[in-house]
Amino acid sequence: MPLYEGLGSGGEKTAVVIDLGEAFTKCGFAGETGPRCIIPSVIKRAGMPKPVRVVQYNINTEELYSYLKEFIHILYFRHLLVNPRDRRVVIIESVLCPSHFRETLTRVLFKYFEVPVFISNNRYRESGCIASKLETQLLEQCTVDTSAAKEQSSLCSIVINYDLKRGLKIQAAKFNIDGNNERPSPPPNVDYPLDGEKILHVLGSIRFSCGNSFEQDNEEKSVATLILDSLIQCPIDTRKQLAENLVVVGGTSMLPGFLHRLLAEIRYLVEKPKYKKVLGTKTFRIHTPPAKANCVAWLGGAIFGALQDILGSRSVSKEYYNQTGRIPDWCSLNNPPLEMMFDVGKTQPPLMKRAFSTEK
Amino acid sequence: CKYLCFPSVNLYYFNNEKSLKKFPLTIKVWSSFCSHIKLVDSHYCPSCLENMPSAEAKLKKNRCANCFDCPGCMHTLSTRATSISTQLPDDPAKTTMKKAYYLACGFCRWTSRDVGMADKSVASGGWQEPENPHTQRMNKLIEYYQQLAQKEKVERDRKKLARRRNYMPLAFSQHTIHVVVTCFLPFFLVTTLQQRLLQPDFQPVCASQLYPRHKHLLIKRSLRCRKCEHNLSKPEFNPTSIKFKIQLVAVNYIPEVRIMSIPNLRYMKESQVLLTLTNPVENLTHVTLLDTAKVGAFCLSLSDPHFPWTFRKANKVGIFIKVTPQREEGEVTVCFKMKHDFKNLAAPIRPIEESDQGTEVIWLTQHVELSLGPLLP
Repeated sequence: MPLYEGLGSGGEKTAVVIDLGEAFTKCGFAGETGPRCIIPSVIKRAGMPKPVRVVQYNINTEELYSYLKEFIHILYFRHLLVNPRDRRVVIIESVLCPSHFRETLTRVLFKYFEVPVFISNNRYRESGCIASKLETQLLEQCTVDTSAAKEQSSLCSIVINYDLKRGLKIQAAKFNIDGNNERPSPPPNVDYPLDGEKILHVLGSIRFSCGNSFEQDNEEKSVATLILDSLIQCPIDTRKQLAENLVVVGGTSMLPGFLHRLLAEIRYLVEKPKYKKVLGTKTFRIHTPPAKANCVAWLGGAIFGALQDILGSRSVSKEYYNQTGRIPDWCSLNNPPLEMMFDVGKTQPPLMKRAFSTEK
Repeated sequence: CKYLCFPSVNLYYFNNEKSLKKFPLTIKVWSSFCSHIKLVDSHYCPSCLENMPSAEAKLKKNRCANCFDCPGCMHTLSTRATSISTQLPDDPAKTTMKKAYYLACGFCRWTSRDVGMADKSVASGGWQEPENPHTQRMNKLIEYYQQLAQKEKVERDRKKLARRRNYMPLAFSQHTIHVVVTCFLPFFLVTTLQQRLLQPDFQPVCASQLYPRHKHLLIKRSLRCRKCEHNLSKPEFNPTSIKFKIQLVAVNYIPEVRIMSIPNLRYMKESQVLLTLTNPVENLTHVTLLDTAKVGAFCLSLSDPHFPWTFRKANKVGIFIKVTPQREEGEVTVCFKMKHDFKNLAAPIRPIEESDQGTEVIWLTQHVELSLGPLLP
């Protein structure tokens, strides 16, 4: 039982913490060690053959409003089992989340569900396009066994989703552990059962090459260059500390070997002249958060949501929203007077930034 | 009389002035205003149908105390017993039969022995869910941040700006250099994403680490009107009962329009459609059908505003409407307004001395949209 559950029952009820990811939504209560549920961010509609993705940035407001309304309804009445009106909501969102999405979500929560208070917390968003690359590769090169005959795997577009990532154990190490530059042998082929009769044969080389999505693309940009470029943009005296305190979050980073590959790539890139001159440091360390990488952002919000003392002053109340009709963004720096009981500014960063580590 | 069932649906519009929301007649909840709030009423387990008070549900994290879900296929686990012979403590030579219980899934054949859970000597109450190994560290973190929050609050109370302060380094996190897993597990020993995500705290990769979880509860919901705060629908508390304590459903108060027969509909040809109107309440109801402005693309004008009734049986009346499709192809839709008088029996009864009018009678207008099916060539 979380430590502050007792306090919560005496005073305010524990806040609801929701992290709406493009693929999965993590949802639970503040102060707990993990989300109550991790479900795909989709809704099923009667007319449509495939489930509809809820987190879409390019659809019109009305559609988005109805999707969000239905999805949040499911969250509250099937997974959380609480009344929306009683509890504060902490929303975890990407720094790059478009305002349109944010505002529609706010409107759904305040107007339809009548949540009393809304707080938003920021997280960095991983690139979500990797899975689609995997899909196209599979469609081209793998075959499917049915009871009748072998067919091309155009059939598997029904099934393929993130589920394939789990078993495919994508070999992300381009660099061998021994240090030589040989490509490691590809992983063995896999027979993936689709349903009762069909079996999808996945070639080992496909499994292997999916990891290459993380390699540098045509513009020589990858996750590793992203990190190094961001470091260069930081003030010089902070670079060493930042480099030794990297936090990698998100479900994509849970691919086996991802972090090793990332570090290896960083170390390789740091030797290049582009970075060698500018970056003073060569030590890079990644933190191990107290949760799986896909829940870390949620966890940050949950810890923040457990801080009853300051939560009131760092949130937007329903009354404020009804008066002004807007929700301030993280980048707006104006400070309204204290009577509003509301402070705009950068929200607290998630837990890791302040936690230093000691060598064991 | 025989009732012909057509797949067409009668739709009623709600609260005509403010917003046009369509609800199928059978599930619409009546209220003078359109939107309603949903509330959580009672928690219960879907498998053992045991009611759980909300305080206990909160403590148990909305999970049943007795029932388990299979971690492989999410079916409900059943407890099975085997008899094993054990030695008597007093006399090692003799053996006695004792019952040992284990959990098993009837669907995918998973058992608790697959993950190494020992058989228990009691049928229920012996099974525990594993605890999150990070709980301690989490609690320390929360404590730390609570301290910071308190400091911030104190400073805020003093109406000063929050000062930057030196953060004390704390031995919280560890670094790990990840080693690539070069051994590949056979495919069937790896958990699926869905199985993994059902256990957010652990998310095990190997099937041998998949422990069962207590079954998640379901809730019964009650509905309340957003504006007048009246309860519209309140189910029975008992999970085994499907009845309602309060059930204000439109179909019990508003006259129902049903289609009885549709002739072949042809472009620009006038045909007669037979409808029935059913009065669900015990008192006499007056109904007027009015023509309405075109709403949808296929709306057509009703040629005769006074619809003679064709037959009458008990509380049902049959009427003919003349329909002329205005378009060459597509679905034919008829829209009209139905005005009826309504006695608000739910309103408080006035004392008899004050007035002799009895209950109020108000007139309500409903939009009706009938889908008559496709046009014939």
